[in-house]
Amino acid sequence: MIHSQPQPPLRARGLTKSFGAVRAVNGVDLDLAPGEALGFLGPNGAGKSTVLSILMGLRPADTGEVALFGHAPDSAAARALFGATPQSAGFPEQITPRELLVYAAAHHRAPRPAGDLAEAFGLGRLIDRHMAGFSGGEVRRVALALAFVGNPRLVFLDEPTTGLDTAAQEGFQQVARDYVRQGGALVLTSHHWDEIEAVCDRLTMIDRGEPVLDGTIDAIRARTRVNRVTFALPDGRHPPAWLAAGATTPGHWQAESADSDALIRRMVADGVPFTALAVRPLDLKDIITRIRNEARP
Amino acid sequence: MIRQLSAELALVLRILFRQPGFWVPTVLFPAMLYAFFGASMAGAGRMGAYAMASFAVYAVVGVGFYQFGVSVAQDRETPFSAWQRLLPGNGSLIWVARVVAAVIFALVAVALVLTAAWLIAGIALQPDAYLRLAAACAVAAVPAVLLGTALGSLASARAAVPLSNLVFLPLAYLGGLWVPPIALPAGIAALSVWTPTRAMAEIAWAALDGRDLSGRYMAVLAGWALLGALVTWGAQIRHRRALFG
Repeated sequence: MIHSQPQPPLRARGLTKSFGAVRAVNGVDLDLAPGEALGFLGPNGAGKSTVLSILMGLRPADTGEVALFGHAPDSAAARALFGATPQSAGFPEQITPRELLVYAAAHHRAPRPAGDLAEAFGLGRLIDRHMAGFSGGEVRRVALALAFVGNPRLVFLDEPTTGLDTAAQEGFQQVARDYVRQGGALVLTSHHWDEIEAVCDRLTMIDRGEPVLDGTIDAIRARTRVNRVTFALPDGRHPPAWLAAGATTPGHWQAESADSDALIRRMVADGVPFTALAVRPLDLKDIITRIRNEARP
Repeated sequence: MIRQLSAELALVLRILFRQPGFWVPTVLFPAMLYAFFGASMAGAGRMGAYAMASFAVYAVVGVGFYQFGVSVAQDRETPFSAWQRLLPGNGSLIWVARVVAAVIFALVAVALVLTAAWLIAGIALQPDAYLRLAAACAVAAVPAVLLGTALGSLASARAAVPLSNLVFLPLAYLGGLWVPPIALPAGIAALSVWTPTRAMAEIAWAALDGRDLSGRYMAVLAGWALLGALVTWGAQIRHRRALFG
């Protein structure tokens, strides 16, 4: 893909925002290149929504600057290039998904046809029904389709799969990966760690308005090469103390180790009567918890 | 621009038309009021036609100011309307579409008043007089909606309806919609000429007779429209700041 504009899809520097005496955002920097997906994480109340609304030009930052493709985020030029999922509340109930897609398309120069989007986001049966009575997951699918109407080169997806069933989540991940592979830039907030890992190459985590972790997911993984070893033991048997294993369910145990090969060799040498042995890298969520615990004084 | 405006208008009209519980009583109410009071008061002659035009203006104000203006402004910023602002294009066209939709519904209410006048009082105008009266009502609807959105944007959700009652009913009286202006007491008559409702009524009466429109009343109406638009704009910006900081 040829990028006619050298300006990056997203560049934010030193964003701060206070509400009264509360500093909601403090010194957030973000960068995003074409063909890159950024996971934007943080506990509830960490300031994610505030940062997102600043990035999309819905509210001004107190200090710092944002440029989307080199344009101010609230400019018409920027809005022509990015798409966003509306949050679920306040959808007009008397309207059908097709009518909303056509409505959004009328604002763009070269929109995607409603039929295309309906197929990509599984709206087939819903497309001509009034939205009154849609389930949370059905509304989310419409919201996702709306983000992609204008063939955007940058999308902001805020909790896009809340309420979606597994099949719809996997469908979304496929669409998101294809979009990024074709050069699209993507910002994703999600509570599903597996989704972040399936879609994103980088992540930025904020807590109390401040960035606490930033990097590629591979690099973050590389910082903690710890595997989790799980196994079962016959009833009444306990693992040897050197394993430092904990019980997960009765008869099932797990241990963490930076050198799981050596650990297993020793288990064999000691004659530990294990069954159902499994070795897996730590989940991203556990790695991040570990990194953050290590960083705390 | 035209493509976006027609999309905004289609969205607003679809949402409204699919809520018959809202719009059917709204457009019926002025005709009902005319049937009860207006038709019997003035008979079928020239005074009867004037009374019909007064109730047509009352329909415009009732639908434009009271129902649409006030209630539309009550649909404050929702997450969906925040998303609408992220779309490229001109954000003010959303408001243009709201005003146009209100004018359309106001004209339906006017048509019902005129129908009631024909059925009950036997008042029938020449086709060109009907057209002039409809045009005058469409013009009058714009300031009516803007004054309604101004009030709806300023007041809290709970206060808007009682407050607009407090403004709307005296304005109808002051403007000479219920009692002809000559029958108003002297002090009230002096005040009447500055009200938007009087200006609307004067324009409607002139349209009925095919007289030239009074420049003075057009200016009064334009002034009220501008005031309504400015207050609405300011209040919406203030509201957005409160919501988004």
